[in-house]
Amino acid sequence: MDTAIFLQGVTKTFGATTAVQDLDLTVPRGALYGFIGPNGAGKTTTIRMVMSILFPNCGTLSVLGHGSALAAKDRIGYLPEERGVYRKMRVGAFLSYMARLKGVNDPDLSKRVRRSLERVGLEAVEGKRCEELSKGMLQKIQFLAAIVHAPELLILDEPFGGLDPISMRQLRDLIREEHRRGATILFSTHVMPQAEEICQHVVMIHRGRKVLDQPLAAIRRQYDPRIIHFDPLDHEADVSPLRAVAGVQSVERANGSYEILLAQGTDPATAIRQIAAAVAPARLELSRPRLEDVFISIVSGDGVTPQVEQTLRAELRDQAATATV
Amino acid sequence: MKKIAFIAVHEFLATVQTRAFILGLLLTPTLITLGIVVGPRIFNLRTVRVQGQVAIIDPTGQITKELAATLDARAIAARRADQAKRALSEAPDEVRRLAEETGGSEQALESALGDPPDLRLVERPAGADVQREKEWLLADEEGSRHLALIVIHPDAAAPGASGSYGTYDLYVPANLDDRIEREITQGLREAIVNARVRVQGFDRARIDAMVRLPAVRSVTVMKGDERRTVAAFNRLLPAAFAALLLIGVMTGGQALLTATVEEKSSRVIEVLLSAVSPFELMAGKIIGQLGVSLVALGLYIVMGIALLLSFALFGLVDPWLLFYLVVFFVIAYLVVGSLMLAIGAAVNEMKDAQSMMMPVMLIVMIPWILWMPITRDPNSTFSTAISFIPPANTFAMLLRMTSTAPPPWWQVWLSIGIGVASVWVAIWFAAKVFRIGLLMYGRPPNFATLIRWARAA
Repeated sequence: MDTAIFLQGVTKTFGATTAVQDLDLTVPRGALYGFIGPNGAGKTTTIRMVMSILFPNCGTLSVLGHGSALAAKDRIGYLPEERGVYRKMRVGAFLSYMARLKGVNDPDLSKRVRRSLERVGLEAVEGKRCEELSKGMLQKIQFLAAIVHAPELLILDEPFGGLDPISMRQLRDLIREEHRRGATILFSTHVMPQAEEICQHVVMIHRGRKVLDQPLAAIRRQYDPRIIHFDPLDHEADVSPLRAVAGVQSVERANGSYEILLAQGTDPATAIRQIAAAVAPARLELSRPRLEDVFISIVSGDGVTPQVEQTLRAELRDQAATATV
Repeated sequence: MKKIAFIAVHEFLATVQTRAFILGLLLTPTLITLGIVVGPRIFNLRTVRVQGQVAIIDPTGQITKELAATLDARAIAARRADQAKRALSEAPDEVRRLAEETGGSEQALESALGDPPDLRLVERPAGADVQREKEWLLADEEGSRHLALIVIHPDAAAPGASGSYGTYDLYVPANLDDRIEREITQGLREAIVNARVRVQGFDRARIDAMVRLPAVRSVTVMKGDERRTVAAFNRLLPAAFAALLLIGVMTGGQALLTATVEEKSSRVIEVLLSAVSPFELMAGKIIGQLGVSLVALGLYIVMGIALLLSFALFGLVDPWLLFYLVVFFVIAYLVVGSLMLAIGAAVNEMKDAQSMMMPVMLIVMIPWILWMPITRDPNSTFSTAISFIPPANTFAMLLRMTSTAPPPWWQVWLSIGIGVASVWVAIWFAAKVFRIGLLMYGRPPNFATLIRWARAA
């Protein structure tokens, strides 16, 4: 298989801290991969190693067929998590500078820059200084700087951080466009629903180790649904009998509805029948497995207690909420 | 290599096109010009007009009359004019000609030197009580200050029993201008000598004619030319070269540091690192700023040469010194610039950089601080040793080369060799720190941490 990124046994330590441990990763050309995990899981360190900004302590790595990204930088687009612009520079000049740094030798570079700005509806800001733009506009300019040279491989580290929902949708569309153009895309996020919306394939990392590497469809097939959304027929009905149903681990009220979490190994079909018998339902829906659930499920395999599981869920939701504010 | 050149051109253009650079470049010559043209007009160096009394107790009875003549306003004005002419004769020919053309006349001199003081001599009896007279000194009369009390020794005009001459005591109030005191002591010296000559029955005019020997200025002989020696030129040349080197290096180093801190704090660094390697980025920045500094240095050299040519002094400068100035400048810039760049990459904001810059600045400033001892004794153990210790070696060696006793050539080239080696070490160190520091945020590191990074990278 023709691979865009290949990592084998890659480990990176910072002093006594191991950021990435024995990581294997293969991203085929043309794929759209999500690289997910909570904050501090080792995503950015891995990406920086892929970009040859950091170097692994051990393991082998190849990017677009080269042993180092340095040999292929002009074919790679990179949007780092810590991203900025030359604040005093004009937008057009900044994009031209980045394109030239990426080896673009187009005599019509200014036209190319203008076209890319038109693509995101920002042609009016070409002559403005970067410091005059809003945060959302700057995010788009930074994204354009990453793709202005039409890269074969596009690596996006937390691309949606700090964006409002409209800008987020625009960026999502741009990522899809780049993928349709033929670019291989690897993007990292700690907000798992974002990955679910875009990715074909998910690589999950936790405490520096890879814990999942599968197509999204296969994940959905493989992981048991454990959450049931429940609305009682009578809104004032007593739902306490639900807690007594065999296999029900918890019942939480969320957004005017109830979320019933099943214990590991519980048969959903049996549980649904018993729940319907315990309290008359207006809606009873088995939730599709979410990446968050998959993550919790995998981490639970390491011996996580229900209390720790609750805490993990809360943390993941907090991080997601912070990322979208 | 192409990317390094591209970054260098970008850095160069981004700097030289800024108003700050253009203003900064023009600021130094503008300030110097202002100092020359406007300075004398706003800083009035003329002596203030003083009126007052000078009391004298003269037991010899010979000196008071003479002193009245030498402290007369006309006599004081004549002495001043004579001193000014002597000072002007030390200046380069062109300066003297310029002074004559622009009014080096007696009137112009008088105008430049200001009005002479109006001193009224008050004679006290030979046996007057000195303590009481001192009290008089402190009690000013309205409209007339008490400026000094002179007590002449009895043997001041004629030798005493021992055969030697006596002198005088001078008492002044606390707030007397030192220039007025100098006028009084010069008048006294003149008066006492006149009295002694008269007592001995000699003719002062004849003695003056016998002992007067005008100061002769030497002639500096050069290849194919010769000109009157300008003593100040030899003293100022090393300072001028060291100043050029220091201004150029510090300007470039500071610009590198500021630009790197700004790129790091604005988080644009990682975006750049996606396109170029840290070494390419560092090399491009150093070369770009080197170009900027060379433009500034070149401009100052051209201005300096124009100034020397206008005073016909250029022949006194060995053109090879300009070549060595550029060589030492490039070495010093690369060493200091690399260190500044490493500091810029390691810190998050300028205030963190200040404390780390201090040791680098101090080392660079040592030869500048010790300019005088190095140029006065360019081949002393200290001067020789410091011209081999980077990064101060370039400054020290340039000071020695422009001094009146230049070092042997092998020492110059040894210093250049050490400088080149120090460039290699500085760039190696900076590259390591730059690569790690660029992505480090949080608590600013100290020098020990930088060394640890360099060893770990």
